[in-house]
Amino acid sequence: MPDSGYPWPIQTSRLDNGLRVVVSEDRTAPAVAVNLWYDVGSRHEPAGQTGFAHLFEHLMFEGSVNVAKTEHMKLIQGSGGSLNATTNPDRTNYFETVPAEHLELALWLEADRMGGLVPALTQETLDNQRDVVKNERRQRYENVPYGDAWLRLLPLLYPPGHPYHHATIGSMADLNAADLATFQAFHQTYYAPNNAVLTVVGDATASDVFALADKYFGALPARDDIPPAPDGRSVPATGQTAVESVSADVPAPRVYIAHRSYPFGSPGYNVITVLATILGSGRGSRLYQRLADGERIAQPDLVGAYGVDLAHAPAPLIATATARPGVSAERLAEGLAEVVDELATVPVTAAELDRAKALLSTGWWRQLSTVDGRADLLGRYATQFGDPARIAEQLPALLAVTAEQIAEAAADVLATDRVTLTYLPEETS
Amino acid sequence: MTLIADRPGPGAARPYRFPPVVRRAAAGGQVVAAHLPGQNLAVALLLLDVGAGQEPVGKEGLSGVLAKALEEGTAQRDAAAYALAVEGLGTALSTGLDWDSFQASVVIPVDRLSAAVELLAEAVRTPRLDPADVRRVRDDEATALRMDWANPGPRADAALRADLFGAQNRWGRPMHGDPESVAGLDVEDVTVFHSEWFLRPGTLIVAGDLDRIDLDALAAAAFAGTGGGPAERGGPIEVPLHSGRRIILVDRPGSVQSTLRLGHPSPHRAHPDYVPMTLAGTVLGGAFTSRLNHLLREVHGYTYGIRGDFAASRRFGRFAVSSGVQTAVTAPALVEAVGEITRTQATGVTEEELEVARSWRAGQLSVELQSPRAIASALTTLVVHDLPDDYHARLRESLLSADVDQVSAAAATHLHPEALTLVIEGDAAVIRDDLEATALGDLLP
Repeated sequence: MPDSGYPWPIQTSRLDNGLRVVVSEDRTAPAVAVNLWYDVGSRHEPAGQTGFAHLFEHLMFEGSVNVAKTEHMKLIQGSGGSLNATTNPDRTNYFETVPAEHLELALWLEADRMGGLVPALTQETLDNQRDVVKNERRQRYENVPYGDAWLRLLPLLYPPGHPYHHATIGSMADLNAADLATFQAFHQTYYAPNNAVLTVVGDATASDVFALADKYFGALPARDDIPPAPDGRSVPATGQTAVESVSADVPAPRVYIAHRSYPFGSPGYNVITVLATILGSGRGSRLYQRLADGERIAQPDLVGAYGVDLAHAPAPLIATATARPGVSAERLAEGLAEVVDELATVPVTAAELDRAKALLSTGWWRQLSTVDGRADLLGRYATQFGDPARIAEQLPALLAVTAEQIAEAAADVLATDRVTLTYLPEETS
Repeated sequence: MTLIADRPGPGAARPYRFPPVVRRAAAGGQVVAAHLPGQNLAVALLLLDVGAGQEPVGKEGLSGVLAKALEEGTAQRDAAAYALAVEGLGTALSTGLDWDSFQASVVIPVDRLSAAVELLAEAVRTPRLDPADVRRVRDDEATALRMDWANPGPRADAALRADLFGAQNRWGRPMHGDPESVAGLDVEDVTVFHSEWFLRPGTLIVAGDLDRIDLDALAAAAFAGTGGGPAERGGPIEVPLHSGRRIILVDRPGSVQSTLRLGHPSPHRAHPDYVPMTLAGTVLGGAFTSRLNHLLREVHGYTYGIRGDFAASRRFGRFAVSSGVQTAVTAPALVEAVGEITRTQATGVTEEELEVARSWRAGQLSVELQSPRAIASALTTLVVHDLPDDYHARLRESLLSADVDQVSAAAATHLHPEALTLVIEGDAAVIRDDLEATALGDLLP
């Protein structure tokens, strides 16, 4: 295994308008990944406009000055490419992977919607995509058992006014109230070259990409007064536990225990990543061994623990378990809390630490095994930490985490402000 | 103007190459490998010639229980020790089942591949299958299926499959079984199925840097203690079409969406129309730009997405469309979907649509076949369907050369809008009258 977590070249440039360009050449396959991170997410949304950053992401596929409605998809798929976009509390990313000869087309399309979306935006498009997003909300959050857990956890973890208090999908009421002028302003405010990172990975040379980036994006004007999101870095401890119990149409009791930990990218979050792997990843994890295998109170496929990799405030650490038939929610909640709490009292063994690091190591290389996986990570490090080369430090940092650091982090994070969310099957009449 | 109005054309295409394939007989089994020079990760996949199709009727889900039971201890160590051994290498045993085959695989940095293959073989060939463990795994699997079946989808899928293929047949029942079929399995079902099918050598598939991999050593580990020949596969199954459309309503009280599953039987995988059928399916429902997605999502806003495709195993196939639509528009969404299938069958595809579909399918070969996992999966296709080493290169050529007449003919021949079964899983009290009023077909009781 290489010593670095990123054994490929990384070259960077910055256009005069502030657009940062990152290139990582790899000639293995005749494909190239193009990825844009815009530094805007649901954390920027004011009250009454929840869900707007994500709805806006949909509008970016509906045409721009030189691209007709639905033509973006048609051109990318018609060149053999894959494409998508995602929005989370921190940021919005747009990406496509295309056969290498279509790189220029992908850059042209991205530039056209960065610089020319507003004139093409119509009320009809907004109304249509609002309906699509409302259906997305129904499909992902409302129509599936436990589907709204994330929507419930966020307001319990972050106080009103905090940028992570509300979920990215937004509320139906806010989505219904969305008007065209707000979205036009949203684009003008945030979709500027100096608020974005363009990453290209794969079958292309850096000098070619820099020249093409300049050709297509170079004349787009920078915006110098992009308003920052509210600062959420400091969330004072309340010393309170938050407990929410939901009766719903679910097949078995389920419990989530959540805490605020540290922001993604900080040394503390690396410790939390290893801690969560020890706690909840795989059959050798503490939760599996204790609750699924040992006491047999939890369903084996549904125990887990993970950090949510948000960078602009202490990120959530979540552990979850679902009851085996005949096991009460109380019993499950006690068992889950006991195993979580023991992270602070029962020292992590060398074998536990090695297992977690081996799994994280393989996971890292899997993530980097495609050009699109690499492009998204490079865009992340450039956007959130100002330097894509920091990507190489990530794996070594995880591998350097010690048992002592885990005990300290556990004592710090788990000691207070615990959130417990429990789902109970509705009484059927 | 700050934007460049002219859309750039493509640069010079670089040739697409599937990695070199190595096939050899070793240690009593077959090895099929792809060379990925410089790749840090490797995949080893043991492919067994037994799929859901070999499970006896009434024993659906047997392979799934066996797959889980493999990790409950082996001849050499107990379950916890096995988990630590595998995960200590940084991998996990991953299992999968389809109608034709069973697979167990590991993804791992190449320097640890041989240790991982030894552990993989230890579980597949010498599981302990202690009766108490098998019973517990069975109960857990039944519970896991109950959890899954609480989601929208599985019940509708099962209703469609039973109506298309007949619930008296194994292939008319869910591939992974249902909560009741799994709960009804006993220990002997599992142990007998293991000794009958899991001790035959099968095929070891490897994707990775072969300069750093000893295939013979891997084969020796994978095939140790095995014997017996390949299974009798059976020929394609003739599945009759229904005469007339029918509607099946699966009640999901209070549902805010209706889950749609529309389908009819279609040809098996080796059918000569495979490529034009795939392209017809792509134009109709396979890509984001497809007719169905354009109409129901981009024009009407009825859904977050709708997809349709032809899928085929060795012995049978099916055309199916799936979506989730807002409850209030269930009936109009269904009318539009059936209308679009009917139009495609009757009038075929246009050159403009086909241009997108064929370039997309062909281009996806170079875009998607990057990771060792994806390459291993492509090798699996070669083995399961007896395809040659240059299959992916040839597939690319046949996709690119398919013309409008061929694809329209495939749509005309293999789409049967008048024989569709329309399954709707939703709030029956709210949508029943609307569905009947569509007159799309008979509403089955």
